[in-house]
Amino acid sequence: MDDELPPEAGHAIGAVFTGRGSEYFRIWVVNLLLTLLTLGLYSAWAKVRKATYFRHNTWLDGHVFDYHGNPVAILRGRLVAVVLLTGYTWAFQFSNAAGLLTVATLCAAGPWLFMRAQQFSLANTSFRGLRFGFRARAGEAYWTVLPVLALWFAPVVGGAFVSVETWVYWTPTFASVLAWPWMHHRLKAYQRRNAVYGDRDFTFTPATLRFYGVYAKGFAFVVLGAILAAVTIGAVFAWWHRSGALLISSRIETWIYGALAVLAFYVVAWPYLAARLQHVVWSRTRLCDIHFRSEIKARPLLRIVLKNVGLSILSGGVYWPWTTMALARYRIECIRIESGVPLSTLAASLAAQPVTAAGEGAADAFGFDIGL
Amino acid sequence: MTTFSGFRFDGRHAEAVPVIVHIDEGELIVKTADGTVDGTLLDRDRLDRVVVSEPFDRAPRLVWLPGGAALEVPDTNRSFAQQLRRSGVELSLAVRLQQRWPAVIVALAVIVAMLGLFYFKGLPATARWLAFSLPPRLEARMGEQVLGVLDKHYMRRSSVDIERRTRLANRFALAAAATAPGVRYRLEFRAAGNDGINAMALPGGIILVLDGLVRFAGDEDAVLGVLGHELGHVVNKHSVRQVLQSVGVGTVASLLWGDFSGVAASVPVVLGMLSYSREFEREADEFAIAFLRSQHVSARPLYDFFVKVRRWQSRLEDGQVPDFLATHPSTDERLDRLRREIR
Repeated sequence: MDDELPPEAGHAIGAVFTGRGSEYFRIWVVNLLLTLLTLGLYSAWAKVRKATYFRHNTWLDGHVFDYHGNPVAILRGRLVAVVLLTGYTWAFQFSNAAGLLTVATLCAAGPWLFMRAQQFSLANTSFRGLRFGFRARAGEAYWTVLPVLALWFAPVVGGAFVSVETWVYWTPTFASVLAWPWMHHRLKAYQRRNAVYGDRDFTFTPATLRFYGVYAKGFAFVVLGAILAAVTIGAVFAWWHRSGALLISSRIETWIYGALAVLAFYVVAWPYLAARLQHVVWSRTRLCDIHFRSEIKARPLLRIVLKNVGLSILSGGVYWPWTTMALARYRIECIRIESGVPLSTLAASLAAQPVTAAGEGAADAFGFDIGL
Repeated sequence: MTTFSGFRFDGRHAEAVPVIVHIDEGELIVKTADGTVDGTLLDRDRLDRVVVSEPFDRAPRLVWLPGGAALEVPDTNRSFAQQLRRSGVELSLAVRLQQRWPAVIVALAVIVAMLGLFYFKGLPATARWLAFSLPPRLEARMGEQVLGVLDKHYMRRSSVDIERRTRLANRFALAAAATAPGVRYRLEFRAAGNDGINAMALPGGIILVLDGLVRFAGDEDAVLGVLGHELGHVVNKHSVRQVLQSVGVGTVASLLWGDFSGVAASVPVVLGMLSYSREFEREADEFAIAFLRSQHVSARPLYDFFVKVRRWQSRLEDGQVPDFLATHPSTDERLDRLRREIR
């Protein structure tokens, strides 16, 4: 039986990405100009054009992906997101009651918005004429996302009512940190197991322990990196102070420390986490007879990130489009698709989702994209 | 007649059907490419009823047909694009701009100019207008909130003796009545856990003075000068303007590099806060000078205080509460201004 074949003996193809920095740069500049001229309104159209650029340049088995997002739906979603985030940022400054009210609103609307955002992004992506989709069920969305939100907001709410020195504040903070891999895995599993292509469902084998393993190693890298950075910078500053060559105010010094810590995390830990997690998530994802494999490696990714950060800083942000393209290209081209039968044979058996009464257009009517 | 080969997807199955596409008298005609001379006719649609995707350097053109089917037409030599243009299919303004490097360079220059104008003129003016039209109740709430947090975590009651505090408060009230009539303010004395030397103006007119500053300054006229400086911040609503300006910078930064990462977008916010405060410090200094003048008090003790702080500061470690030099960078320019006043 075909099912019994080990994937290597079947048919494997890799994804190809043909987006280039010099072209994406021109798109970015024009998008930016129009966004500024329209006071931000064009950003929804800009997002559609960028999403289209990514999909039209992603090839699989000789065909590209397509995007059908409606800019007006995106604009609507962005307005909601701006209102919610502004509320969240300012509410606790206004009063504790207002803060609690905002958190309650976020908890009530959050899972639904998250679900709709997944649906919007997938339902507006197609390949070979068939749309992807997302099984949006409110009950499952709330069951999945609410515990994550509760853990996320616990320290914020606690901090508003008690002093930072007390255990009431630190216990939820500590719990959120410990539960982070669990939360991340919960959301990823939810996204994957509800994804749909045509009339077929994606499946996802849970991997909570693997997530904890990856995060533990990533954390170890951060600690190591932080110690190394602190020792180096400390030595440099000590030399500076002793030689009196340069008087830096203590505030600038703190700022440099902070910036370097963030940079160290982004450069050292992010590539590792991104590579390992992408690998775990794809290797656990299946679509009928199709297995996915991500051959992404932390070290090449680290090289790309190092180069990107360096050139972005040197160019004052202008290098950014090249950065995006290099990262996308590496991450996409690391994905391989394996199946026991040729993909064209598989494709012939795939059909569109049968149209249900309220099915078509639902994603658009309630379409939201909050940029998750 | 030029024909183009591509694929057709019917939107109901994943099958890719090889097709031959050609444009004839404003119509897009799609036939199967099954080896027969003419192929089977699949679609015949008026060009104004189909939607053609934006052209990209290495991507095929996607054509969405009215019936729900889609075509994928590779166009590496741009002949399909040319044929579309000849048949009257217009490209959007954005696409025409981004296809030309000179236009892109001009666009970039316009963006830089707009950002500069926004940063140096538009944003400060908007923040100023907003700060002065904000309901006073909201601003007062913000101030109370900040004071509440500081009190809960970092501040203790002041231990400077009450006589000295009252004397300072009275002299301050006289000068404030002369230089800033009608401006709401509230003087609060506190002690910081680390004996921090500082004074700050919170939203809503709250002026916070730390014991460390009162003791370190010694001379009462110097403390009065510092309080005058803080009142200058209050009069000009600097703290609210600072918050509003950094929100503005953050918003624009996230428009520029938003989907890059939160980190990259937050760097300009910090930079913005660093450079804006200089401007505000100068304004507050001007106010402090007028404030002291109104009571015929010399600015010399204030000048001496600044110099003393600057000398002392390099030996201090960072505490939880930002210290005076950190929040009031005493540049040579500021000291020069005070020195001129003394003469």
